[in-house]
Amino acid sequence: MDNSLIEIENVSLLRNDKSVLKNISFEIKKSQALNLYGLNGSGKTSLLKIIIGMTEPTSGFIKNVSGDEDLFKKTIYIGHKYGIKGNLTVKENLSYALTDNSDNSQLIIKTALETYKMTQHKSMLTKNLSHGQQKKVSLMKTLITNSLLWVIDEPYSALDDESINIFNNTAKAYLEKGGALIMTSHKEIKESFFTTKNYKIYS
Amino acid sequence: MKILNIITKEFLLASRSGYEIFMPIVYLLIIIIFFNISISYVAKDIMLELLPLMIWISCLLICILNLETIFKEDYDDGTLEMFLIKNDGIEIGILIKILSHWLLSNLPIVIVAPLIAMVLGLDTATTLTLFLTLLIGTPTMSLIGSIAAALTISLRKNKILVSIIVLPMYVPILIFGTSAVNNSFFKMNYSTELTLMSFLFFIFLLITPLACSKALKISLD
Repeated sequence: MDNSLIEIENVSLLRNDKSVLKNISFEIKKSQALNLYGLNGSGKTSLLKIIIGMTEPTSGFIKNVSGDEDLFKKTIYIGHKYGIKGNLTVKENLSYALTDNSDNSQLIIKTALETYKMTQHKSMLTKNLSHGQQKKVSLMKTLITNSLLWVIDEPYSALDDESINIFNNTAKAYLEKGGALIMTSHKEIKESFFTTKNYKIYS
Repeated sequence: MKILNIITKEFLLASRSGYEIFMPIVYLLIIIIFFNISISYVAKDIMLELLPLMIWISCLLICILNLETIFKEDYDDGTLEMFLIKNDGIEIGILIKILSHWLLSNLPIVIVAPLIAMVLGLDTATTLTLFLTLLIGTPTMSLIGSIAAALTISLRKNKILVSIIVLPMYVPILIFGTSAVNNSFFKMNYSTELTLMSFLFFIFLLITPLACSKALKISLD
């Protein structure tokens, strides 16, 4: 029980009288990465939205068993929309995303930029960046905030192989520190660096 | 600290968006110039009587112009999602967003409109009333409008719907505002109207954050 963050119990979702999700139950534990995979339209994104509380399930529960009431405040969600402002530069986007403005915030941003190899683009407006680079900026947010859980919808889409490696490495480090990760993708991840528990959604 | 952070962010974004922030003032000038040309055949004293009322109506129309933009950009780029999921000070955050919207698109006309009225020959007392009623009336209109904007945010073309939703709710503000200005023009008492307008403002100040956060959550579902 100690390691569990969230319990998902018998979650079902109906949309326009069609069953999208049916009796889904699993647990999210610390130091565990969960990859939800399934076909297009199988309800991956809907399930993520239910987990973070954006959508109400038709039946079932999402239980916060972490013992931390603020778990969802300490959750980072990156969806299909990246949540970055096109009219702000990369650096400004990151500094507005910082949760606390401590003295070493500049250092944190610098490290994040270096990790994703975006230092030379830090003064560019994000609307002028490519799709993949914008995705990287939104993924960088996971590095600059203290969080207990990452919820990321298709982290690999629009990324090149190098960036996928970078993301995998940061996720690995994060899991070792006791974080948890839920993500979606189209396929099973076999050659992963981190211990992934795959969860297939049948609809 | 955090509040100031959001306001500076909004101002930075507005300054990068180009000339859009001057749009309300330009609109006001256009309406007033056209109005003055069209009623130049009317006697001067009748024109002066109409002038503050006409300015009030044009300010109200300008306030409707970009209401739907309050949450639109945040909705489109996904910042709104993240903000609502954090579930941390949503109501305050919404109020700050409305405040910065008012500061950027309504405050300029609240300041410019009385100045124009003075230039066109309105007496000082009525100009002051005009300024006061606009100062109380426009934030109320922003608050009401933000509820409509939040309700219709998931629709692609919500501009017409927002205008239709807010129009009946703007009627009381328009009645009190123009009545106060008119009373002031004829040297009558207008404190009742001002009190009622402030009352409306505080009511919506209380209702709006709750209504907006609920409406936004529903629309993201």
